[in-house]
Amino acid sequence: MLKYFRVKQEPEKIVPDLGAISLALLERDATLPFTIRQLNNLPEAVKQRLYRGLLPPALLTRFGIDPIQWTGADKELMVHLQAEPESEKVLITVRSSPAPEDEYFALELADNSLNGIELNLIVLNDPLAPRFSIDRTAEGQPTMFGTLHRNLEAEGQAKTAGLAPGQVRAGLGGSKVVFEHIDSFLAMLGHRAYFLEPLTYASAWVFERRGFAYVRGHKLMDDIHRAFQPGGALYACLDDRSPFRKQEQAGTVRGRAWAIHDGILDAIDQRWDKIRMVKQIGRRAGVETFPQAVY
Amino acid sequence: MAETHRITRAAFLESLNDFRQFLKEHCRGVTGVTEEILYDIQLAVDEACTNIITHGYANMDPGSIILDLEIDRDKLTIALTDFGHTFEPGSAPVPDVDAPIEEREMGGFGLFFIQQSVDRMDYRASEDGNTMTLTKFLAKTMEDEHEH
Repeated sequence: MLKYFRVKQEPEKIVPDLGAISLALLERDATLPFTIRQLNNLPEAVKQRLYRGLLPPALLTRFGIDPIQWTGADKELMVHLQAEPESEKVLITVRSSPAPEDEYFALELADNSLNGIELNLIVLNDPLAPRFSIDRTAEGQPTMFGTLHRNLEAEGQAKTAGLAPGQVRAGLGGSKVVFEHIDSFLAMLGHRAYFLEPLTYASAWVFERRGFAYVRGHKLMDDIHRAFQPGGALYACLDDRSPFRKQEQAGTVRGRAWAIHDGILDAIDQRWDKIRMVKQIGRRAGVETFPQAVY
Repeated sequence: MAETHRITRAAFLESLNDFRQFLKEHCRGVTGVTEEILYDIQLAVDEACTNIITHGYANMDPGSIILDLEIDRDKLTIALTDFGHTFEPGSAPVPDVDAPIEEREMGGFGLFFIQQSVDRMDYRASEDGNTMTLTKFLAKTMEDEHEH
């Protein structure tokens, strides 16, 4: 039995430096995890074969996209893969038409400093739903989904239409299947977990339902839930001062998310920049920080 | 076939009561789980979680602790997973519990209590978290005795 524990000072890398993927390396040990960078250094056709596994075929065929060739009815390429050699990131985007504004799916995975996997971006929009320009200011400057600048008029319209902060269109549904594909893809690579930093309170809640736990911020989510109860510090701030701070918002995930997006966490001396979540491959953590939540 | 249950809570002291209640809810009444065994596993989980809360998640906004309980015919297995700082075996001596109280060193007793309370303790740090696994063998029942 162990006699004593101390906190480890230097975390170890998850993936050892194995160099380029070769047949010899593949034959060596099926449990050795690979990095995104190693995949990106493979020939283009091999990369396309591998990354195809991240896309649920039905997500493509429902918009007339060939799940193998990635082309639409007019043979135009609708799925775009950015996976440059030596890059530690892969970005896959899908459009329902050749127009950039009809992009309805985006997924970015990256190696982190320990050679673990980060889910940097996941977007799943209904391309047929109305679009709200929350991603651009009235002057056309990028808002970084409202985190850098805000387009208050567009955000107000998006809120009224039932969207959560950060959404330009209503969700497409089907995120459960997408996460199952991410799990399978990363298991194929040999990873046991992946990490993300949720953009909003609403996205953290969705990730909880998809089986994520918290590396940082579980207590903060519990504190937020308590503070939105009648008599709580956040509930008291829902004073109609802005369209994003109405009392009825306390009872819904989206309502709370808009109030937090509007800066309400100042009241409990917190900011929405500490949250980090983890998904164990093939496991659901069962976190529920807003019990019986109404979305 | 083992019976499995899971609870996930934030890593702060108020959650300890939830873990205790969870163990009581699922273990009390199980054949071979005496009140003494229930007390022992609650104590071990209390100490292990306190260690995670105070050291594993030190200097960070606390994340989650996942408690997986597996009830077998002859043993209880409890796996506690966290995503905080990883522990490693240290070289410090085991605390001297026989020393007069005024001469005892502060700290270091958590692991000692865990070891005294369970039959086996394992620790694994991996990409998908740090997991301490505690195993407690159950008391033999009359039925078991007859089978052997």
